[in-house]
Order: sequence, then C-alpha cells, then structure tokens
Amino acid sequence: MKTPREILLARHRAAGPKLEAIRRAVVTEELNHQVTKSQSRAAGLVSSCLDGSKVFWRELIFPSRQIWAGLAAIWILIFAANVSQRDPAPAGMVKAFPSEIMSFKEQQKLLNELLADRSLPLDIERPKLFSPRPRTQIVETVVV
Amino acid sequence: MKMPEVADNEHLPVAQARTGEPAAWDALFRRYQLPLYVYVFELTRHEQASLDLVQETFIAAVKHLGGLRGDEKFGSWLFGIAHQKCVQRWRKKGGHEILFDEIPETPDDFGDSPDDLLMRREQEMEFMNLLDQLPLPQRSVLLLHFIEDFSLEEIARITETQLGTVKSRLHYAKRALRKLLEQK
Repeated sequence: MKTPREILLARHRAAGPKLEAIRRAVVTEELNHQVTKSQSRAAGLVSSCLDGSKVFWRELIFPSRQIWAGLAAIWILIFAANVSQRDPAPAGMVKAFPSEIMSFKEQQKLLNELLADRSLPLDIERPKLFSPRPRTQIVETVVV
Repeated sequence: MKMPEVADNEHLPVAQARTGEPAAWDALFRRYQLPLYVYVFELTRHEQASLDLVQETFIAAVKHLGGLRGDEKFGSWLFGIAHQKCVQRWRKKGGHEILFDEIPETPDDFGDSPDDLLMRREQEMEFMNLLDQLPLPQRSVLLLHFIEDFSLEEIARITETQLGTVKSRLHYAKRALRKLLEQK
C-alpha cells in the first residue's frame, strides 16, 4: 500500500540524475555569479574612483603640467620663506624680559613728564571765544 | 555549521542560504528538486519543459530569497515560484487550459491527511489516469495537497487564488478520486 505522494515521487524518480545536474549547476554557477556580482559591484566602485582620478590627472593636470609645477615651486618658496622669517625666540624673550621692561618703564615715565608740561597750560589758558546764550536775553538787551 | 545532505522540513537551512552558503542551497534544492519536478511535470506533461522550469525556479529562488518573509514558508514560496513559471509558460504558448476558473465554494471535511489515502498497487495506474483527467485547477490543488501536504492557506498563496476556491477545488478533486477508487 502506498500513499499518493509515494506513487507520484516513484513515478518520476527516473528524472533524478537530470535534477541532480540542474541542482549542481545552479549551486555552482548561479551562486558564484551572485558572489562575483556583489564583488564586481565593489570593484566597480573602486575602479570608478580610480577612473575619476585618472581623468582628473589626464584632463586637468597633465596638459598644463609646467604651469602646475611652477605654481607648486612658488608655493614651496613662499612656505620656505615664511618658515625662515618666523621668530625663533619665545625662550629668549623670557630671558630678556625683566631688563627690557625696566628700561621701557623708564622711557614711558620720561615721556609722560615731557607731555604733561606742555599740555596742562594749554588747557587752562585757552579762552572761550563764544558762549551761547538764549535768544530772549539778547532781545532784552536791545530793547533796554 | 555542517549542512545535512537533504534538509528536512523542521530544519530548513534558509538562514544560511540567505548568506549565500552553497551547502545550504544544495541541501534545500536536494530536498525540493523531485517534488517540484513532479508538480511541474504533472501540470505541463513535458519533460524538458519541466526540467527547464525547475532550473528557472531554482535560479529565481537564489536571486529573490531576500524577498521571502519567514523562513518556514520557504517550501510554499518555492512552489509559488514554480507555479508562476508554469502560468507564464501557458500564457506564452497561448494555452487553452485555465488555472483561474472559479468553482462555487462547497463546504467539506478537509481534515484528512493525504497519507490517509492508501492505494493498492493495482490502483496506482488508475490514480495517475484520474489525475490526468482532472481539470488543471483541481489537479494543481490536489498535487500540492498530496506532494507536500500544504495547508489550504498555503495552497491559496501558491496558486494566488481565494481560500474558498481552493477548498472547493480540493473537494471536487477528492470526491472524484474517491468515486473512482470505490468503483474499482
């Protein structure tokens, strides 16, 4: 006694080898294809970046390479000059600091004294040329 | 993790197959290759076309497994792909057989398992003849019921028909089968 399932499967068991071949083909080829597809997607991204940089180099840099080289040289010179002109002295400043401060204070004191002598009298002696009064007062004096 | 050669229904390595593990796919296909072939062959009645359809179903499964919701539905999902491939083939060939005809819903007892029906050796030929005579929609439903013991809901999903339609198709198919077996 057999179930309908057993009857059906037994009837088609002869197709087994062909189905095995199909299964093997799908598992090896199709899965590999899927893997290579995902790999090629990543590789495509990398290669498009590389291609972009190649195009950038070929179209923009390479035709006017002497100009770019000249610009680069000028920038290097500017940088070098900038570096050489920098004061290398924060430590030296600390050493010279007290004596210089002292002399600076003395000079400032002297300058203040000199300026003070001239400026004070000018402020005191200067007469006011015009002192504004209300218009009504002026009219009153005329009438009287 | 070591794969069993043939996956059983309880332990289908669908999760591993999702990661693209060849051994998992091999076990899954080994489990379903013959039932799928039986189903497709009994609908198309053409050996080479059935082999092609099984291959196309496998390839589509590899490509679209990401769309499967619920690993336990893998079997019905795979049969659904195969069913769609059969329908596409009939449409291309302008076939006269229709898979979507409506039969009025009839209540019936569907509790019996396909394994309850046991046949003697001399009844096997009659069973196959009867299967050949059944209209395609009923044959499709009966095959899914017998081959994989799919539930009515799963059969409805595979064949993309209403649950009531599946019930009535299975009812008519089983009644015809019983009638034939009783006569003999």
